[in-house]
Amino acid sequence: MTEPVKVGRADEIAEGEAKAFPVNGAEIAVSRVSGTLYAFSDICTHRGCNLSLGGEIDGTSITCECHGSTFDMTTGAVLEGPATEPVATFPVREENGDLLIEA
Amino acid sequence: MDPRTFVVVGAGLCGATAVATLRSDGFDGRIVLIGAEELPPYERPPLSKEYLRGEDPLEQILVRTPEWYREQDVEARWSTHVTQLDARAREVVLAGGERVAFDAFLMATGGHNRKIEAPGSELPGVLNLRYVGDADRLRAAVAAGARVVCVGMGFIGAEVAASLRTMGCDVTVIEIFETALFRVLGGDIGRALEAIHRDHGVTMHFNDLVARFEGDGRLERVVTRGGRTVEADVAVVGIGTEPAVHLMAGTGLDQPGGVPVGSTMETSIPGVFAAGDVARHDHPVFGPIRVEHFDNALKMGQTVAHNMLGEGRVFDDPHWFWSDQYDAQIQMAGFAPTWDQMVVRGSLEDRSFCAFLLDAEGVLRSSVSISWPRDVRRSFQLIRQQVRPDPAALADPDVDLRRLVPDEG
Repeated sequence: MTEPVKVGRADEIAEGEAKAFPVNGAEIAVSRVSGTLYAFSDICTHRGCNLSLGGEIDGTSITCECHGSTFDMTTGAVLEGPATEPVATFPVREENGDLLIEA
Repeated sequence: MDPRTFVVVGAGLCGATAVATLRSDGFDGRIVLIGAEELPPYERPPLSKEYLRGEDPLEQILVRTPEWYREQDVEARWSTHVTQLDARAREVVLAGGERVAFDAFLMATGGHNRKIEAPGSELPGVLNLRYVGDADRLRAAVAAGARVVCVGMGFIGAEVAASLRTMGCDVTVIEIFETALFRVLGGDIGRALEAIHRDHGVTMHFNDLVARFEGDGRLERVVTRGGRTVEADVAVVGIGTEPAVHLMAGTGLDQPGGVPVGSTMETSIPGVFAAGDVARHDHPVFGPIRVEHFDNALKMGQTVAHNMLGEGRVFDDPHWFWSDQYDAQIQMAGFAPTWDQMVVRGSLEDRSFCAFLLDAEGVLRSSVSISWPRDVRRSFQLIRQQVRPDPAALADPDVDLRRLVPDEG
């Protein structure tokens, strides 16, 4: 069982936006949609762009700004290529205003 | 198991995506994917960028792993040339005479580089760029400090110029039009891009073209019609492509402007489809166009697979592409060979903007950005629905373009 890591304050994540945090050597993006937090690898599996930098969030999907790969933030699944591999997702929660990620 | 056989000729992004979509749609019949290259399908955009510069290895640019085709029970036939489509027999004919019968056929053969008509173009050192082998040859030929002439400043020329400057080469461009990417982007945006290249030390000669390549046994200099002589170790020719239509000879579909297809990408021969760079597609918004971009090959590959299965989906994608040059990111959506009004959000001088191209009726036809990609993506629906947005709203960076889309239904 992985220990949750405190990465920052929950209020750093505005509704409809994503922000990346370094967690155990990985870059993990956290987004908030309709109040719910989602955590997923920030690195697009297509060519390695950072999803949180300019990625377009539409509902629970995020589209990579570089080449248009679209992922389901709830599962990490590819919704639209060119990516063929999913991004990893991680449990995330808010506790006393802190942002906790298990990764 | 489905008794049908689907044959796809052309193992690039479009063909590979079509095959993957057929399988993910549940088609469990026979699929034959035939490609002329010895490699499995790969992405071509990195050939002028990350792969050329040696940053990304071959494995990273493959569309699917080599094993994937076996795992998905796709009969992959690389290094295989197809000479003819026998429409009456519903077979493709391979070099050597073998015939493969199909129930549905997809032609995704892409294009060939246009050859330059100039004496000396056969000299060693005069290179092209389309295949992995071309990128390997170019990389091997350009040690730091090499003097390179890029012939043509379309996307390939501009990207190669940027990559080779980054690699330390001395780069000169010879371009027939008045500025960079003039035909696609027009003068104002082209000049913004030209300025970026000038800042990075690229020498550019516009309104000029190559008269001949000279050298004793290999390229030594390029002489232009305008009377310039440019000393060069390497020249890279990027003057456009032509659709690879030859195997349609005899069907009437081997048109120089591409294989004509309807809105669903089916040709006039039932069950015979064409998609990607080779197809001249009857687009419901833009009319008949042939598009040579990555995202189009991908999206057409997906949609045509559904249509090979009989779904009859109209392809109305607004078209989108990117080009990375130095740290500038260019993106474009839509199609506007001409326009009446250009509205700029951001600043052309600062090379950070999204420009919106409107026709005489005020309909948004295209959007182009340099280092301002978000609003290109957000304009997709406006272009697809042929909206007439308020120019003041387009110019205002605080207006979310998605709010300008009328409610559907």
